[in-house]
Amino acid sequence: MTEVPDFVLFLGRFHPLVVHLPIGFLFFAFLLEWFGKHPDRKALKSAVPFALFLGFITALIACVLGYMLSLSGDYEVSMLDSHFYFGVVTTVIVLLAWLIRVDKLKLTVLNTAKSNISLLTLIVVLLSITGHYGGNLTHGSDYLTKYLPFTQKEQKTLPKIAKVEDAVIFDYLAQPIIEEKCISCHNSNKKKGGLSFQDSLSIFKGGKNGKVVVAGNAMESEMIKRVLLDPKHDDFMPPEGKTPLTEDEIFILKYWIDNAHANFSSKVSAVKTSDSMKHIASVFLGFEKMGHNKEVTLPKVSPVETHVLEELMAEGFNFRELVFNSNVYEVVLPNYNMDKGTKDLTLKLQKLANLKSNILWLYIEDNQLTDAHLEIINTFNNLEKLVVNRNQITDKGLKLLENHSNLLSLNIYNNNITDNCLESLMHMHKLQKVYAWQTAITEESLNKYQQEANFPEVILASY
Amino acid sequence: MCDHHDILRSNNKDLQSFEKQFDRRHFLKKTSLGIGALALGSLLNTEKAWANVGSNMPLFNKNKQGLPHHLPKAKRIIYLFQSGGPSQLDLFDYKPKLVDMFGKDLPESVIGGQRLTGMSGSQSTLPVAPSSLKFKQYGESRAWVSEAMPYLSEVVDDLCFIKSMQTDQINHTPAVTFFQTGHQLPGRPSMGSWLSYGLGSDNDNLPTFITLVSKNGKGQPLKASLWGNGFLPTEHQGVQFRSGKDPVLYLNNPDNYDGNDRKKMLDYLGRLNNIQNDAYGDPEIQARMTQYEMAYRMQTSVPEVTDTSDEPDHIFELYGKDSRDAGTYAANCLMARKLLEKGVKFVQLFHQGWDQHIGCPGGVRNQSRKTDQATAALIKDLKQRGMLDDTLVVWGGEFGRTVYSQGQLTDKNYGRDHHPKAFTMWMAGAGVKPGFSYGETDDFSYNVVKDPVHVHDFHATLLHLFGIDHERLTFKHQGRRFRLTDVHGHVVKDLLT
Repeated sequence: MTEVPDFVLFLGRFHPLVVHLPIGFLFFAFLLEWFGKHPDRKALKSAVPFALFLGFITALIACVLGYMLSLSGDYEVSMLDSHFYFGVVTTVIVLLAWLIRVDKLKLTVLNTAKSNISLLTLIVVLLSITGHYGGNLTHGSDYLTKYLPFTQKEQKTLPKIAKVEDAVIFDYLAQPIIEEKCISCHNSNKKKGGLSFQDSLSIFKGGKNGKVVVAGNAMESEMIKRVLLDPKHDDFMPPEGKTPLTEDEIFILKYWIDNAHANFSSKVSAVKTSDSMKHIASVFLGFEKMGHNKEVTLPKVSPVETHVLEELMAEGFNFRELVFNSNVYEVVLPNYNMDKGTKDLTLKLQKLANLKSNILWLYIEDNQLTDAHLEIINTFNNLEKLVVNRNQITDKGLKLLENHSNLLSLNIYNNNITDNCLESLMHMHKLQKVYAWQTAITEESLNKYQQEANFPEVILASY
Repeated sequence: MCDHHDILRSNNKDLQSFEKQFDRRHFLKKTSLGIGALALGSLLNTEKAWANVGSNMPLFNKNKQGLPHHLPKAKRIIYLFQSGGPSQLDLFDYKPKLVDMFGKDLPESVIGGQRLTGMSGSQSTLPVAPSSLKFKQYGESRAWVSEAMPYLSEVVDDLCFIKSMQTDQINHTPAVTFFQTGHQLPGRPSMGSWLSYGLGSDNDNLPTFITLVSKNGKGQPLKASLWGNGFLPTEHQGVQFRSGKDPVLYLNNPDNYDGNDRKKMLDYLGRLNNIQNDAYGDPEIQARMTQYEMAYRMQTSVPEVTDTSDEPDHIFELYGKDSRDAGTYAANCLMARKLLEKGVKFVQLFHQGWDQHIGCPGGVRNQSRKTDQATAALIKDLKQRGMLDDTLVVWGGEFGRTVYSQGQLTDKNYGRDHHPKAFTMWMAGAGVKPGFSYGETDDFSYNVVKDPVHVHDFHATLLHLFGIDHERLTFKHQGRRFRLTDVHGHVVKDLLT
């Protein structure tokens, strides 16, 4: 196809705008004729020729602009032809109707009240058909009937799957995104940029600007390049006004192209799948709740009253809510705050125990914390991270924590602890990391315990 | 308004009669003007006009933005900014195939029509310059590091390399500004200010955001807008700690003043400022008051935290002998660790001198000598204290350097020009994958061929690690809401643990 000048396409794009003028004028002519039948409103009829004339002129312009638009080649040929011929025929009939009406065409047989109304009815019918075809071209042929009440929704139902691994990547993950964000402009009827996402063949055929999908190389695939562009860029997809793809959606499409080599039948289990991808896919398919990391589930706890927090802050504790409105907190007692409120650390901690379930992270560093204090801290049942370095904790204190069921990380560097605490550490079954620099724990004993399954990673000096 | 004056009014009769006149006239003037100003202010910017409302609320519900959006991984960050643009080709991005290309003109297909700088764009040839430094693989992660950084090679299993960084800027000032603020022109808030604004302070005695610059730095100048607050409230600006006797200027009491009545003076000043604040509602007055009080507390907290003399010898040995010389990169790294321990959220370190247009191999070695040991020491030190779990460490410059030689190429010597299209940086600690390398460049380290990471993506990821959705931390200014990432940025999920 020869290159169409940009200016022609520019004008052509006014077709969808101009096309509404003849619709309005001609329908109005029909209404004038209809209401003019009543003897009291006869005067209305005298405006019919004028409305027909305007209808004809604007229809003619719409035809020319429509032809220009069709040169872009973005539309399916057979449907385009129907729209084209109906448009032209309608315009010609409007011209005839006007000529008859103003007696330029002496067909007196036709110029009676009856024929007038029937001719105008014919015009309205033709208009509707032309308009319908036009609508199908822009919006797709199922646009009008998609939400038609009382009809069976025609929907491709995928068989139910039990876990993410069973999902066919294209059908379950990529296809729904394409359906939602791309297909309204890139289908077999309306091929913007010559591109259709209707089926695998047309996807691999690509569009006017080259390969839309390069198997195994997302960064070379036009599809990914376009959605990653600056949103202000002319080539950004979807175009302005349409909903852009979310990060997770882009992630999924990249995964399909890169990891599944744009294969249409690969399952998640068959290709290399990172944990974050698996998580996104699970969320996408409704297996998991939103949130970045799947192991992060915050405990459900009751809210803390403001005055309780204020009293504890007067004791020197700093609070930070870890997630807005989650009611779980990080609590820090800086050593320079020790002179606030009660001087005694035990009393401070007893007060803190009022919200023991709400504390997820606790930092009491360099504060002369002893084993007795750990007994109180052990009651903080949701505690995941305990940072109590540079204190006076001994092996006995750690033994108290043996049965704590949620502790993940323990920082006890520079305390009076020895190899004997390793046994206690082994009992904390969720514990993952222990920082034990500047303690009497020796490499040798540690090596013995590191063999055990479930023993946490213990970090001594790192040099 | 007048009831405030009662507190301050003196019993002197003359003064009272004077004040009466003063008051009447000014009452009318101030009420009309003041209300007018407040009304105008609220028209222009509703958030700011009422900014003082609730600013004294306790920390746990101060946050009007609904932050954090998700569970944070990072509590604090130290950003080791290597100003000038370190050569990725001579440090981390190993390109063995270049040896066969020595001296050959860089193919146009690689340059891809890119507009080069005026410094090398007019050269008759662009000869390919393979690195003259030797590379080896280290650690379990088998990461490539050149011989310039022997200490860093010991900790590669804690690092997360991004080999596919990209920026929009090819010159220093716009590129550094872009990295710090998300925009190439000065005036936007820096990363640290955004974090301070969004998450608040962990230690009321020290600034949330502190900047340290290595002393005797040569090269492109650094300026305060790089750690500026932009349009965010002033108390969120970075505070620069200088090397030497006075880490913070004007913090010490002047000679012959013992400072005993300082607190009283500030309280009185605070009351005056409160009156002014009630009349005008300008948030800058609030910021000024906050900062006076911060400065007062810093009179004791700063000397304490900047004094490294209580550190044991083995720590100084770990950071290298420079660490005893205040103001060096090594000393700053050590001080940074102390600041982080005390609850400073963002320590922004700058080290200048990575702009190797000429004498690249020697220059890279020289700067590495000044920084390598301390950088690695910082990682080790944070790790043994258990702080690497919730501290994010970032190392990187504003852009990379070209594969072709700027100026003459010999066996041993070459120069490299600025290169924004591909360069390497690394992160470590809180929430990023240890012993991991992300992204790939072509055989010339010129173009990114896999997983590009733009500066905006880096910012989005950084905020994500602090529990912030970069699209939701906004500030309305001059009629529109601004973000650190503006309208860009994707969180690079593959980097996260």
